[in-house]
Amino acid sequence: MEIYFTISTVAEIICFLTGVICLYKDSETSWKLLCFYLLLVCSIEMTGMHMWKVLHKQNSLLYNFLLVFENLMVSYFFFYLFKAYKNRLNWLIIWLVTFSISFTSEMIYNHMNSFAFKTVIAMSVVFVIASLYFYYLILKDEQFRRLSHYAPFWWVNGVLFFYFGSTACNVLFDYVLTDTTNITGTIRYYIINILNIILYSCWSYAFLCRYRLRMSQHSS
Amino acid sequence: MQISPENVATLIVIISVIFLIAPIFLVSYVNLYNQRKKKHQEEKEQLKRDFDLEMLRVQMEVKEETLKTLGAELHDNIGQILSLTTITLTSINLEDTVSSTRKLTSATELTRRAIREIRDLSQLLNGENLLKRGLVAAIELELDWLSRLERYTLTFNKKEFNPASSHNNKDVIVFRLFQELISNIIRHAHATEITILLESHTNTLQLTVKDNGVGFTKNKPQKTGMGLYTIEKRAGMIQGTVQFDTAPGQGTSVKIQVPYP
Repeated sequence: MEIYFTISTVAEIICFLTGVICLYKDSETSWKLLCFYLLLVCSIEMTGMHMWKVLHKQNSLLYNFLLVFENLMVSYFFFYLFKAYKNRLNWLIIWLVTFSISFTSEMIYNHMNSFAFKTVIAMSVVFVIASLYFYYLILKDEQFRRLSHYAPFWWVNGVLFFYFGSTACNVLFDYVLTDTTNITGTIRYYIINILNIILYSCWSYAFLCRYRLRMSQHSS
Repeated sequence: MQISPENVATLIVIISVIFLIAPIFLVSYVNLYNQRKKKHQEEKEQLKRDFDLEMLRVQMEVKEETLKTLGAELHDNIGQILSLTTITLTSINLEDTVSSTRKLTSATELTRRAIREIRDLSQLLNGENLLKRGLVAAIELELDWLSRLERYTLTFNKKEFNPASSHNNKDVIVFRLFQELISNIIRHAHATEITILLESHTNTLQLTVKDNGVGFTKNKPQKTGMGLYTIEKRAGMIQGTVQFDTAPGQGTSVKIQVPYP
């Protein structure tokens, strides 16, 4: 049983449970959607772990499947955050079309056999730019917001740390796969664990901020 | 040259650490800037509160000035007329018909004058509505009372002035500045001529009040009325500027320029 519980999966499960507790009564569907996404992440991680460690099978196809949902969820959520300042539906459509082309091409090129890491690199760049654009919108906004309690800010912080911090791992992913000594693989594993902890901590805190906001609105 | 896995691992660690530190600075910067935004917003609110307070003070001063004129008018003019009327009426001897008729006619005339004066005063009392009729009307009424003193030759030139439709706040402050400049002339200038020029060119209102009085040294602190500093401060509240052109024995010219509308 303990094979299913790694640092990353524990972080994901804690974040999912925090999300369920804090967001189940949230008025915004977009925030609630994050709970379903986290449930999917936890399920796929567990299944992937089972395939790799118990059945000794390749799980890259499963993670490619997760990649599509990850892209859809994060892109949509950025669109939802931007909408409070500016409607960027055209940006969302352009990006989703670009992603589909890149992902399909890579899958065809690799004969569906390996992880679409080049698409992941492109996705990371786009999400980092989206995070920076969100900061720009906050700075440009006339209205003052207490950022320490502002849920979208913490959600974006998690995304920025995760996708920006994983750049080195993603760029050198090709090398890691071919490294027979497994030194780089181990290093990558530790870095991804740290990034997962940062990502899910930020998201959990964002959920807590949403909860506090809902409670304060409820009491006033 | 072959790069060893250890070197690549070190490279991955270094790059990842750098790429994690960079967002920390970025997030801190966003937070810091946001704090400054809060401070700036608070300062803006404070400025607005100060402006509103100053506006209230200006309105109060306009009212006070009106009441002062009213008090002086009641005491010096209407009071005198009514006293004269009382004296005339009490001196009537009913047996002397010719004299009584003359005195009654005189008393009637005095009463009519008193009524006329009271009617004019009631216009002044309606000071709050004064500026609703416009800056020109308010200045004209003020000059009308000033002309009754018969001490000054007054010239009011407003040919090149186009009144704005909705600048009551600016009008109140400009009018208050005008009142104070006139009050300073009456109290200290020993002038015989006052010229007022009201113009508006390319989104600027210009009010010039000129007298042929004793003038003053600009750097010498003034003990009178609002003082030059307050006049400049009030004009500054509406993004205006004040220019004093004066020298001892040379009279004074004060030019106020305000963005308008």
